[in-house]
Amino acid sequence: MSHSGTGPVVSFENVSKHYGSLKAVDGLSLDLRAGETVALLGPNGAGKSTSLDMLLALRKPTSGKIRMFGSDPYHAIKSGNVGAMLQSGGLMPEVTVRELVTLVAGLHPRPVPVATTLRRAGIEDVAGQRVDRLSGGQTQRVRFALAIAGESDLIVLDEPTTAMDVETRQRFWAQMKEEVAEGKTLLFATHYLEEADQAADRILVINRGRLLADGTPAEIKSRAGAKQLSFRLQNVHEPFLLSLPGLVSLDVHSDIVHIQSSDSDKTLYAVLDAGYRPTDIEVTGLGLEQAFLAITAEDDREADEQSAAQAPQTTKPTARSAR
Amino acid sequence: MRSILLLTRAEISRLRRNKRYLLFTVGLPVILYLIVGKQATATVYGVPFAAYYMVAMATFGAFSGALNGNAIRISEERKVGWIRQLRLTPLPANGYVVAKILTSMVTTILSVVIVLLLGRFYGDVRLPLWEWIVIALVVWLGSTIFAALAVAIGYRFPPDQVQPITILVYFVFLALGGVWFPLSGTLQKIGEGTPTYAAIKISTDVIFGKSVPVGLPVALVVWLAIFVGLAILSVRSMAESV
Repeated sequence: MSHSGTGPVVSFENVSKHYGSLKAVDGLSLDLRAGETVALLGPNGAGKSTSLDMLLALRKPTSGKIRMFGSDPYHAIKSGNVGAMLQSGGLMPEVTVRELVTLVAGLHPRPVPVATTLRRAGIEDVAGQRVDRLSGGQTQRVRFALAIAGESDLIVLDEPTTAMDVETRQRFWAQMKEEVAEGKTLLFATHYLEEADQAADRILVINRGRLLADGTPAEIKSRAGAKQLSFRLQNVHEPFLLSLPGLVSLDVHSDIVHIQSSDSDKTLYAVLDAGYRPTDIEVTGLGLEQAFLAITAEDDREADEQSAAQAPQTTKPTARSAR
Repeated sequence: MRSILLLTRAEISRLRRNKRYLLFTVGLPVILYLIVGKQATATVYGVPFAAYYMVAMATFGAFSGALNGNAIRISEERKVGWIRQLRLTPLPANGYVVAKILTSMVTTILSVVIVLLLGRFYGDVRLPLWEWIVIALVVWLGSTIFAALAVAIGYRFPPDQVQPITILVYFVFLALGGVWFPLSGTLQKIGEGTPTYAAIKISTDVIFGKSVPVGLPVALVVWLAIFVGLAILSVRSMAESV
């Protein structure tokens, strides 16, 4: 049951998942097209896992519709169109790696030869070991092996390289690129931004259960607006800096000032026009990480403004970390 | 169906390696029969003690084999996420549960056959062939009641709670069912409702040659229906959290 045709491989139509008053996913709409490698980015609690769970028929949406290969997720999975690896997915205890991979390949209508899967996942050396005696990184690779044990058209990976060292991670992505080169669609969630930047040709940024940005890594970076303006300035007057045009966020360490700005030229002119003479001026494009932070921070700020009548509306320097 | 059988085969090969499990389901009934089987000369439920004890030990092995290993395993496999992982494969939705029950039926048949052979050749129990077959089927099929209960418990409770719960269930049904010692008086009145008692009493009535009261097979079916119902409720209620 290979997917052919031009429709999207995956589509979310206004999908929501509510737990009581908590909106884990809130009106999410998106399409994945065949052959794409898509990264799902978002801070913890953004709704990534819930979205993947619904895609994989582990949870039912409260409202909205998810389609995969033209059918509902459950049937797409049962017909072997999807290979998936979740953080929360576990391994059958008391069997060897080879036995487990053989079993899961056997459950698949189009099994990949076990030796091939072991090689692709880089677990040939532990094939004879019991799965409950593996290290974290090895376990992770066995999980990955289970996701590619059958010929699936869509591969879904939830933070696939967690617990892998740098070298293993690079090998993993090299392998993944080979898989995807066969025309497969890949959707992966990650909190390694450089990973999304390098591996994905499309990035979906979600926060608070909503889709905030959707584009190539380059588009996401420019979507954040923004450039980073840095300079040194003695006796900085913070309220003045906060009032600068184009300012997205501000970070001050003694005399070093970092400003994210949607219009760095205008911001800089305003500083100069006010009579300041900063030194060591630098204007750089934002990396994906900063773009991501800017996009989610902006969203959080809007959400705060909507919900909070009590909070004073200062644009405080954002020092949040992405995970 | 092919994928369910494949999983069943994997489950059986896992169990074969589990010595503790084999000790309880096969080893313990055999050892007990060797020690106790020929001790008494009295009759129980109208049949020689050696025949009663053979049926009791077959029931012991089959019922504990269906309950003991499975409940804790299901609970642990739910906890580590293996059930979740299986849901991401083309294995049909209830394939995991069906494979567990099939697995327990294969392993319990082993323990039933071994104990009956022991009764015939060590306990010198002599019966017509059809009676052997009826006894084996009653005990073996009766054990599916506990296989269903194992699913109900394993899906519902975390591993650290499963252990005491199964031990409690195990002792109540074995003691009240007359598995360890024949029941009489008030205890028999209470124990008559248990599936373990029904399985043993049907068998001894067959051996004794009297007609089996219809209440006994009905009791087995009712217990099976109750535990299957509980199992379905457990599986459904955990659908979003495995």
